[in-house]
Amino acid sequence: MTAILEIRNVTRRFAGLIAVDDVSFILQRGEILGVIGPNGAGKTTLISLISGTLFPGSGEILFEGRPLGRLPAYRRARLGIGRTFQIMRPFPGLSVLDNVAVGALFGRGGGQAQLAKAREQARAQLDFVGLGRNVDQRADELGGPGRKRLELAKALAMQPKVLLCDEVMAGLNLVEIEEVIEVIRKVRDAGISVLVIEHVIKAIKSLSDRLLVLHHGEKIADGEPRAVLANQAVIEAYLGKRRA
Amino acid sequence: MDLLEQILINGILLGGLYAVMALGLALVWGVLNIVNLSHGAFIMLGAYMSWYLYTYAHIDPFLGLPITAAAMFAIGYGVQRGLLNLIVRAPMFNTLLITFGLEVVLTYLAQLAFSADFRTINPAYAGDSIVLGPVVLPLARLLAFGVAIVLTVGMWLFLLHTRLGRAIRATAQNLVAARLYGVEPRHLYATTFGIGIALAGMAGGLYGTVSQINPYIGAALTAKSFAISIIGGLDNPLGVIVGGLFLGILESLTALYVGSTYADVASFGVLVLVLMVRPNGLLGKAA
Amino acid sequence: MKALRIALIPAALAVLAAVPWFGSDVLIQFGINALLLAVLAQGWNIIGGYTGYASFGNSVFYGLGSYGVGIAMVQWQLPFGVGLVFGAALAVVFAVLLGVPVLRLRGHYFAIATLALAQVMIAIVSNVKLAGRNIGLVLPPLNNDPLFYELSLGLLVLATLSVFWLTRSRFGFGLIAIRENEEGAAVMGVNTTLYKTLAFALSGIFSALAGGIHAYWVTFIDPESAFDISLNVKMIIMAVFGGPGTVLGPVVGALSLSAISEVLSSEVTRLAGLFFGVVVVAAVVLMPRGLADMSRRFRKMGWRYFAENVRTHRL
Repeated sequence: MTAILEIRNVTRRFAGLIAVDDVSFILQRGEILGVIGPNGAGKTTLISLISGTLFPGSGEILFEGRPLGRLPAYRRARLGIGRTFQIMRPFPGLSVLDNVAVGALFGRGGGQAQLAKAREQARAQLDFVGLGRNVDQRADELGGPGRKRLELAKALAMQPKVLLCDEVMAGLNLVEIEEVIEVIRKVRDAGISVLVIEHVIKAIKSLSDRLLVLHHGEKIADGEPRAVLANQAVIEAYLGKRRA
Repeated sequence: MDLLEQILINGILLGGLYAVMALGLALVWGVLNIVNLSHGAFIMLGAYMSWYLYTYAHIDPFLGLPITAAAMFAIGYGVQRGLLNLIVRAPMFNTLLITFGLEVVLTYLAQLAFSADFRTINPAYAGDSIVLGPVVLPLARLLAFGVAIVLTVGMWLFLLHTRLGRAIRATAQNLVAARLYGVEPRHLYATTFGIGIALAGMAGGLYGTVSQINPYIGAALTAKSFAISIIGGLDNPLGVIVGGLFLGILESLTALYVGSTYADVASFGVLVLVLMVRPNGLLGKAA
Repeated sequence: MKALRIALIPAALAVLAAVPWFGSDVLIQFGINALLLAVLAQGWNIIGGYTGYASFGNSVFYGLGSYGVGIAMVQWQLPFGVGLVFGAALAVVFAVLLGVPVLRLRGHYFAIATLALAQVMIAIVSNVKLAGRNIGLVLPPLNNDPLFYELSLGLLVLATLSVFWLTRSRFGFGLIAIRENEEGAAVMGVNTTLYKTLAFALSGIFSALAGGIHAYWVTFIDPESAFDISLNVKMIIMAVFGGPGTVLGPVVGALSLSAISEVLSSEVTRLAGLFFGVVVVAAVVLMPRGLADMSRRFRKMGWRYFAENVRTHRL
C-alpha cells in the first residue's frame, strides 16, 4: 500500500502557543486512520493544515507524493482533498440537495459544469449517506444527526481521494454512531482514504485500521488500535498521571 | 524649514481634533460592536447646537461644551434605547443599513431646519494666535487640541478605572455574564451609545470653531472618523490619538507637497493599506 | 399558480415597454429614473445579495459610467455606444484593481472601505482635467425620452436575466456558497477570490451602463452628481426592501419605492431622500429580509411577522 498523504515534521503556532508540534505520519491509500487525543490536542488544526485553511510554520505536507506547499484550499479540493467541519455549517439558505450540489459543482478536477448533472450526483450522494428522503428540505431544518450526514454528503460529492472527517460522531447516540460507522466503511470501500478525528474511543477503535494519538500538539502513539490504546503514555494523556 | 515646522504643528493640532471626532465612534464600535455610519451626522448636529448656543445665548463654544454634551447624550441614549437596541442581535449588515438610513434622515432634517448656508462659530478670540518661536499657534485650534486630549485621555481613564467604565467593557465582552451580575444591558448599551454621541457632539462644537459647518458635512466626517479609528486600532482607547495625529500630519503634509484636494485621497489610501496589512490598527495586536 | 406567475412577466414587460406610447412626458421621465435605479439595485444584488459582500460604494461605478460616456462623447467625439463600452471598461478595471484588496476584508470592513472609496472619488475626479474638473462636462443634447426609456428598460431586462442566470449556473452557486459560508466554499473547491472579483465587476458593469445612459439623458455631469453618494442608500434599500438574493426582488423594490416616493412628495429630490432614509430605518427593523420573505411568511403569520422580526433581533 502506498501513502496518499504524508505529513512531515509539521509545526504550527498561534501567537506563541504551539498547536501542532513536529508531527509526522502517513495516511495509506484505502485505509481508515483514526486520530484521537484530549481536547486541545491540535486535531482540528491538523485537519485545517491538510485542507489548506491554514499553513504550517515549518514542515511539509505531501499529497500523492507532491508537496502542497502554500497551495490554497480550493486548489487542494480540486486535487481531491475533502473535509467535513466539526461545527457544522451548511449553506443555510439552500436546500439539502443544493448544498451537496455545490460539492459536485466544485470538487475534484474542478467539478461539474452543469447544474443538472451536479444535482444528479448530489442525489446519489445523499442516497449513499441515507438522506435520500430529505433532498428538498432547507438545510437549516435538519437536526443534528441529519446535518452530520449532510456534511459527509457534501464532501463526498466532491469525489475526493482523501476524506478528512472532523468529529462526525459528536453528539450522536449509539444507534446513530453505528450508522455513521457504516457510512464511513462504505466510503472506504468505494476507494477513498479516510482520516477520522474522533472523541468516541469505542467507535473509533472498531472503525480504524490504524490509530494516531495527539497530545498537546505532539504525536505520542501511532499504530494498531489495540496496542495504541494499551499504551501507557496514551492512558496518562487521557486520565492524567496516577498519583503514587 | 520654518514652513515644514508650521505644517507639522498644524497637523498635530488637527490631529487632536480628529482624535476626539473618532473617539465616540471607536467607543461604540470597539465596545458595543455597533458600526455607526451616522456618526458624522451627530458631529454635525453638535456643531449646530454649539452655533445656536453661541449665536442666540452668547455662550462661548468651549464653555458651552458640557451643555452640548448633555443634550447629545440624551439624544444618543434615546436613539439607542428606542431604535438601535432593536437590531443589536441582527447581522452586522442591518446595523450598517439602519445607521446609514439614520444619516440620511438626520442630514435632511438638518437641511430643512438650518438651511444649506455655511456657518462658523467665531468667538472674539478666534483670530488670535500664540507665537512660539518659529511657529504660530492659532488660539482656537490650540484650545480645540487641548480639549481633545483631555477628553480622549479622560475616556481612556474612565473605561479602565471607573466602575461604570468597567461595567461597560464587561457587558460588551460577555452579555450573559453581565446580566448575571445584575447589569441591565439595555440601559448600559444606551448609556454607552449616549456617551459616544455626546463625544461626537462635543467634537462638533470644536469643529465649528475651526471650520465651516453645513448640513452635508456628516458623510465626510463619518468616513474620516472611520479612517482614524481603523488606523489607530480599536483595541486601545488611545488608538484614536495615534490615528488622529497620523492622519492630521499626513493630510497637512499632503496639502503642502501635493495639493490640498489630495489630502482626502491620501487618507483613504492609508485606510485601505492599513485594512489590508494591519487590520487591527497601529496600536492593535498584529493580525 | 406558478404558471400564472410566469406568464405575468412577459405581460408586465409588454406594458412597461409600451409606456412611451400612452404615457405622459412626466410618466416617461419618472420611468427612466425608476428603471435606472432598478438596474442599480439589481447590480448591487449581484455583489450584495448573492455574494454577501454589501458594497456601500457602487455609486463609484455609476460615476465611472457617466464619465465614460461624457469623456468619450465630449473630449473625443466618439459615439454614445463607444462611450458606454468605455464606461463599462473603466468599471471593470476599477473593480479588479481595487476589488482584489478590498474584497479580502470581512463584512463591515468591506462596507466601510467601499464607502470611503465612494467619498474620495468626488475629490479625485474634481482634479482630472479630462473630466472637466469640478465644473463637469456638457454632453451633446438628444431630445428623445422614449429612446432613453427603452434603453433603460432593455438594460434592466439584461441585468435581471443575468441574475436569473446566476441562480442556475455554477458561477452563481459558487457566489451563494461564498455568501453562506466562505471558508466552507473554499474547501469545497470554489476559487473565492476570483469569484468575488468577477461578481464585483459584473455589478460594476451594470451600474456603469446605468450611469452612462443617465449621463446622456440629462446632458450634464459633474463630480457631485455623477458620484452621488445617496445613490448607495437608494440602491441598497431598494434591493433589500424587495428581497436581496432573489431575481425580481430588487426590481419590485425599486419600482415600488420610486412610485411611493413620487406620490408622497412633489419635490422629488428634497423629500425623496428623507423618505428613503425613513424607509430604510423602518424596513431594517420590521422586515429585514425584504418583501419576498415578508410575502411568503405574512400569509402564515399575519402581523406577528413584524413583531417576530423585532423579537429575534432586539437586545
